[in-house]
Amino acid sequence: MGTLVDARNIRGVYYTGGKDVVAVDDVSVKIEEGEVLGLAGESGSGKTTLGSIISLIARPPLHVEQGSLEIDGKVQELGGDAKVPRTWRGAVVSMLPQGAMNSISPTKRIRHLVYDVMRSHDRKVSKDEALDRARERITTLGLPARVLDAYPHQLSGGMKQRTVTIISTLLNPRLLVADEPTSALDVSSQKILIEMLLEMLEKKIMSGVIFITHDLPVLRTVATNIAVMYEGRVVERGPTERMVDDPQHPYTQALMSSVLAPEPKYRKIRIEGMSSFDRSLFDAPAVIHR
Amino acid sequence: MVLAKYIGRKLAWTLVVLVVALMLNFLLPRLIPGNPVDAIVGQIAAGGGTGGEQLEQIHEHFMQEFGLDKPLWQQFLIYIGNLLHGDFGTSFGQYPASVSHLIGQALPWSIAIQLPAIIVGWVVGNMLGALAAFKGGWVDRGAFVGSLFFSSVPPFALAIILLFVVAVQMGILPVGGAYSFGMTPELSVTFFGDAVTYFWLPFWSLVLVFIGGQAVGMRSMAVYELGSDYVNYNRGLGVRDAMTVRYIFRNAMLPQFTGLGLSIAALITGGLIIELVFSYPGLGTLLFNAIGQNDYPVIQAITLLITLAVLIANFTVDVLTGFIDPRIRAAQSGER
Amino acid sequence: MSLRGLPPRFWVSAALVGFIVLAAVIGPFIVQTDPNATVGGLYDRPRCCGAMLLGTDNEGQSVLANLVYGTRTSLIVGLLAGAIATVIGLLVGLVGGYRGGWIDDVLTAITNVGLAIPAIVVIILVSVSLPKRNIYTLALVIGLTAWFWVARAVRAQSSSVRTREHIDVARLSGAGFWSILARDVLPYLLSYVVMAFVLQVSGAILFESTLSMLGLGPGNATSLGTMLYWAIAWGSVRTGAWWAFVPPTLMLTLIVFALLLLQSSLNEVFNPRLRRGRAARKKAVTPGAPSEAPLVVGEPEPVGAVGMLETPTSTGREQR
Repeated sequence: MGTLVDARNIRGVYYTGGKDVVAVDDVSVKIEEGEVLGLAGESGSGKTTLGSIISLIARPPLHVEQGSLEIDGKVQELGGDAKVPRTWRGAVVSMLPQGAMNSISPTKRIRHLVYDVMRSHDRKVSKDEALDRARERITTLGLPARVLDAYPHQLSGGMKQRTVTIISTLLNPRLLVADEPTSALDVSSQKILIEMLLEMLEKKIMSGVIFITHDLPVLRTVATNIAVMYEGRVVERGPTERMVDDPQHPYTQALMSSVLAPEPKYRKIRIEGMSSFDRSLFDAPAVIHR
Repeated sequence: MVLAKYIGRKLAWTLVVLVVALMLNFLLPRLIPGNPVDAIVGQIAAGGGTGGEQLEQIHEHFMQEFGLDKPLWQQFLIYIGNLLHGDFGTSFGQYPASVSHLIGQALPWSIAIQLPAIIVGWVVGNMLGALAAFKGGWVDRGAFVGSLFFSSVPPFALAIILLFVVAVQMGILPVGGAYSFGMTPELSVTFFGDAVTYFWLPFWSLVLVFIGGQAVGMRSMAVYELGSDYVNYNRGLGVRDAMTVRYIFRNAMLPQFTGLGLSIAALITGGLIIELVFSYPGLGTLLFNAIGQNDYPVIQAITLLITLAVLIANFTVDVLTGFIDPRIRAAQSGER
Repeated sequence: MSLRGLPPRFWVSAALVGFIVLAAVIGPFIVQTDPNATVGGLYDRPRCCGAMLLGTDNEGQSVLANLVYGTRTSLIVGLLAGAIATVIGLLVGLVGGYRGGWIDDVLTAITNVGLAIPAIVVIILVSVSLPKRNIYTLALVIGLTAWFWVARAVRAQSSSVRTREHIDVARLSGAGFWSILARDVLPYLLSYVVMAFVLQVSGAILFESTLSMLGLGPGNATSLGTMLYWAIAWGSVRTGAWWAFVPPTLMLTLIVFALLLLQSSLNEVFNPRLRRGRAARKKAVTPGAPSEAPLVVGEPEPVGAVGMLETPTSTGREQR
């Protein structure tokens, strides 16, 4: 399968008035057709910032200083004053937000949002048509059609996150950027959501996923490849199995060894930990396996 | 059903407050040391022009009306009973005019100023506040400081300045009153056209101040909403800004709506004081005159009307909020 | 919070408040004229200098002298009433919110009834019944009818502080009820209380002038409201004697404007979420961190917004 998304040389900086903070420092990411790329790293590593740049929602004080995004041969500049067409958002690249709790306006029914999303991209779509399409999608993925008539507060946490996932992919985006979609859920809801994401990928509703999380066990079940970020850079990248079993970069090693999993081999590994701001780590060469 | 329960609860609450308000209204003027009727009749006597026999009659009349020879709880029941018949008693100051009659003459003028002012001020103020929040930059700064200024001008202060500049200096609009000398209130185009020229200044004094207050509130609500998750998500889904603005407006509007209920008392008071400035023949002027004459029955009736207006406004706001905000309905029943 | 971090609005409002206080405190010494002394005729025009700078009022008294004394009166009533309302509200709110239970229920019920009945109604009824009105009775009446707001706001805050862990620690260490309230709960509310006090002062000054306009002002002193009362009663607006009504009008507006501006800038200082771009700026310090509510002392939120945004997480049955 070919390359789906090629994000090149992305540099994202927060202009804070006094000191500029470089959150993403010249990062390039490639995602293959059908791939789930797991983006791991501690808080402050720049993974959420990278996710928001790729999902085209960077807003001041975050400024994209350079970078481009190539999808299906179309190249979109991201840096400087480049204008991203509104219709790319949602239809080409879509986002699945961190914690769906407040992602839907509390005074709107789900169907209002659904209709507004659809007609923002297709002026001619009628209300019935839009809702029919959404209803079909919802029932295909095993949710009751009545969620359309619900207000967000009437849905449970897991239900809401699944509903939001469906809304995010209504327009069949090529790439879905999911930022900590599971972190607010209980374990069984996490499992259901991940199964749904994989099913959607199989059905070609979207063609690739960037899955951002600090939850490594989740990443192990969902990701094809894992990229580890540290201090705004990707320090190591490779297939999930290898990244978990045989991490090369010292930071990845520390990150992976911090996982507690009920598997025999982990009992033998001692948690070593690391000083969190060890600059020498940063100088270690990035290990990128393809 | 859920909504009906919610409204029922609000109605019960309003009635409880009403009873407390009635008790205060009844009790507070009775705290005057000594027998109020003696004091009043003394005043009328001091004013001269009333003979001894007539004074005796007046004294008799009020003693009976208030039932001052009876125990307090009976007096209260008499008071409530009279109110239920729409009987506010007899005016001290303009004896033997009934209070209901005086109120009936004044009330329409006050309503004519206040109701349109409140509606126009609320709508325009919220639109202005939302605009300031969305546009940002100098529009925001200008609108915000301007609104803050207008909202902090006491309504009567603005009224005084408007009266002086527009009516006295420029002579564009009449200086005071509600209609020209020689006219009589009637439902005709001529009268209406005449009355409107007297209406503008008190109306604008109240509206401008209210617009300011609403705009300040709406702006901070909308700025708050702008940073919320759903705005970010809508953006990420490529929803048109014009549509997202409507989401924001709806959410920011709810607290503004509740705020309307809370600020209504200040608005009504402001409107009454404005009447004084323009000698507008509404409740405010009536109250002013009644205070000057220690006309307790009239004062009591007006304070009761203010209370009623505030309670009704709040109840209406509560009911409408119940219709607008889906969470209220759910919260009441625990339906999830 | 460093001084440089304060918004410019704060400095503007602080300067205005400073000017007003100076006018009220030092003004009478500079003008050196008895506000009740007749120094001219009915509505003498302003002329240079001294007491006649703003002309005379309907009784031939110096408007300037009345203005500075009136400002002083209005400030005294405002500060006194504001302090009374804030202290009562704070006590009721703290005790109710922290204690909970039936005490809280009773206090909340009283507060809600008090909020529902317009304060002006009670103030008018009491003022009419008072045999003698001076600035202290006026301040007392206004203060006693205005504390409900503070109580409600403080109660909401203190009941949320109550469940925090450091309160448990204090309780386990044997601290008494009042000691916990003063040392462990109150500090979280201080910013809120300061803002409430500022609002109460401006509200009380407005109430005073409203009452004075209605003829219920203090009998023994000149206030900005009584100046307006006489100016209107004696037709100064209609006759064009602007010097009689413009100064008190402007001074009142200035006082209320300065206090509201002060409150709104304090609100921004204490509640960074209201500052544009500030939430994002916080993010910049820890890029990529999951956005959490900023932990501000007292965590004051605009009333209503909290309820708006914090939709309760549903725990009930899932729709499947």
